[in-house]
Amino acid sequence: MKSIHVSRLFRNRSSSLVVVLLILVMVFSIINPIYLSLYNLVDIIEQATINGLLAIGITFAIITGGIDLSIGSTMAVVIVSTGLMLVNGVNLWLCLLAGIAMGFAMGAINGFMVTKMMLQPFIATLGTMSIFRGVAYIMTGGWPVLKIPKAFRTLVDGDILANIPSSVFLLFAFALICHVILRHTRQGTYFLAAGGNEEATRLSGVNTDRSRLYAYGLCGVGAALAGLVMLARLGTGEPTAGLGYETNAIAAAAIGGTSMAGGRGSMVGTVLGALTLSALKVGLVVLGVDSFWQYIAMGAIIVVAAYFEVIQAKLERRMSRLGRKG
Amino acid sequence: MASPAIAFENVTKTFPGVKALEDVSFTVNQGEVHALLGENGAGKSTLLNILHGVYAQYQGSVAIGGRKVAFQSPSQAIGAGVAKVHQEINLVPELTVAQNIAMGYEPRRHGLINFEKLNGDAREILAKLGCHFAPTVQVKTLSTGEMQMIGIAKALYHNASIISFDEPTTALTNNETEHLFRIISELKQKGFTIIYVSHKLDEIFRIADRATVLRDGRYIGTYQLADINKEQLIRSMVGRDVSSYAVRLAPPCVREEELLRVEALCASAFSDISFSLRRGEILGFAGLVGSGRTDVMRAIFGADPVHSGKIYLHGKPVHIKRPEQALQQGIGLLPENRKTQGFVRLMSNADNMGLASLKQFTRWLMVNHAKKRANCLHYMDEIGLTPRDPDYLVSDLSGGNQQKVVLAKWLSTGADILIFDEPTKGIDVGAKAEIYRLMEALVAQGKGIIMVSSELPEVIGMSDRVVVMHEGRIAAVLSKQELSEERILNYAMGE
Repeated sequence: MKSIHVSRLFRNRSSSLVVVLLILVMVFSIINPIYLSLYNLVDIIEQATINGLLAIGITFAIITGGIDLSIGSTMAVVIVSTGLMLVNGVNLWLCLLAGIAMGFAMGAINGFMVTKMMLQPFIATLGTMSIFRGVAYIMTGGWPVLKIPKAFRTLVDGDILANIPSSVFLLFAFALICHVILRHTRQGTYFLAAGGNEEATRLSGVNTDRSRLYAYGLCGVGAALAGLVMLARLGTGEPTAGLGYETNAIAAAAIGGTSMAGGRGSMVGTVLGALTLSALKVGLVVLGVDSFWQYIAMGAIIVVAAYFEVIQAKLERRMSRLGRKG
Repeated sequence: MASPAIAFENVTKTFPGVKALEDVSFTVNQGEVHALLGENGAGKSTLLNILHGVYAQYQGSVAIGGRKVAFQSPSQAIGAGVAKVHQEINLVPELTVAQNIAMGYEPRRHGLINFEKLNGDAREILAKLGCHFAPTVQVKTLSTGEMQMIGIAKALYHNASIISFDEPTTALTNNETEHLFRIISELKQKGFTIIYVSHKLDEIFRIADRATVLRDGRYIGTYQLADINKEQLIRSMVGRDVSSYAVRLAPPCVREEELLRVEALCASAFSDISFSLRRGEILGFAGLVGSGRTDVMRAIFGADPVHSGKIYLHGKPVHIKRPEQALQQGIGLLPENRKTQGFVRLMSNADNMGLASLKQFTRWLMVNHAKKRANCLHYMDEIGLTPRDPDYLVSDLSGGNQQKVVLAKWLSTGADILIFDEPTKGIDVGAKAEIYRLMEALVAQGKGIIMVSSELPEVIGMSDRVVVMHEGRIAAVLSKQELSEERILNYAMGE
């Protein structure tokens, strides 16, 4: 019995990630005290918003045992279409709502292909990654959407509290809502169950197809929110936006303890994963490390996190074996 | 007289908690077709696995051609001329016939595969077997019967002198079966020793010279098939002591009310299935593995599609196309394979038990975790789960306790009709007894239970009535008074 509690402690990725994050901040601060300034800390979080929103969304897809490679392109479609609506004078709130709805719809298209057409998630979303990107280009003829209204920019990314932009609050609000969905609603349980054992879940009378469709929809919502933040931050809507962003989102989820095989993961972990990536990136910039080396550092932390998972699984197995003997 | 082709001497094989083989001794003569008979779980597969080096750890000895052998792996057995034609055809469909035949032992030249020799060798063997396909075609283009031939070709490629067949005709058409039999008798004439495992007695009487019967892991006897008839053979296969725990302790409680009626249900794996289940009844489903029992249950539960037929619940027709509709109608299914179909490995007792009934614990979209836990605690007491911990991972439980969790999942839904597919497969005797007592308690409460089982003592001991299936059809419906192992086995084998 006792050993089970020990193994549960090991299972909690989030608490160990907090320690890693603190160590990271400490090390960087010792090397260069500027790192610890309030301005810099806010910057770390701000740098994590877009990736964080994407990562929260993709965590849903990964938890159900899938993946969504199209989130970067989904972002771009939301950016250009919302941008076009905004410059054409459509109501601000309506634009926001339309952007989110579009994200959900694009996610649901992925979900439809994965469930009803029974395509492998990797292939289905590889396809839509290209299709959505094309849609974004066609919408603007390849040109950026310029002169995004000030009102929108202040609403979504303007400072509200001591230099902290509203997008940071958006990140934490979305994280909280998604945490509640995952841990406290029926669908959340179904996401985890379907990812853990789809057949057993289906044979428990759960409509797993519908659940997975919702998961991809929520993934699309995350991408849409990321797109809206980017649109507000840059003030222009580039159809090339979000190119390759899916990799960082997957990395954040993986570092946060989401199992790529499905069935395990948490929103707290994902947000911490995004923050860790951001803290590392900002730290390397503050230290003036060559940007080429930054790639190596980012890659290394993903590999280390994945290896940590392997060690953790081994420990758990040993723990439960001890527990059964004792 | 020369030494026998194979001599088993006092072979005993134990698995944790089970004696799969106990003190088995017999010999197989060179150049004979020797049938190996017994019910499911009698130990036939275990014995074959020892012969073919799959199990290296056992007591007793095996001698091939008079020399003791101790194969540590299947490849050692193949090296000694002992080959197996697999029951489930395991070939690589994308590769050619020749590549499959020589898999792992391809002739090489300068480190690369010598395709000329490979295809030539394969062509020669295929000609010997009278096969009309080229060695260079992809295996996926062949029929099941043709694929079976590749298994035999493989054995010849390895110069095997002993070839075993495990239920080779299960998936074959009549013509293909005839062809197989012709080849087996040709092999026999050429001096090959054949071990033939099958449930089909007709086949055995046609092609085998002698038959050895195993029962509950013990050797019963070896018979000249010319001197024995089918009835005698069946009697030697059954007649096991009905285990003392697979019996009903409480009086029967079958009521008039009909819970479920199935009429002329047809799907690809079965046809014309009609039966009914009454309140308080345990309805057994017997038959050989692959007779379509599981397919019928999955179809009723909406997990697999049906072609035609009607299902009535409480006298009203229903259309169940998906498992969630079965759940709404009050049907629960304990699936055949706990690990892959019964529970979610990464989830706790409480989560798994609540998975089918989560709606009950939800208000305003929010799951009430305290209620879900309380439900789990309630059923843990009812079913006697150990350890009594809602947060314990189901994957860390013993097989019997895992089965109880799956059962509790359905009890939580208040389902009236419970389908148990092989409920005691792979669980220990104590847990078996507990499951039987739970089943009794459930029917006493007025639920109806369908129990699919391949263990005849269990079927006979627990059921009020038994449906026997044979090759996708109902062969007989037997009342409690008519139940005997011989009778069930007769119907199950299509006699």
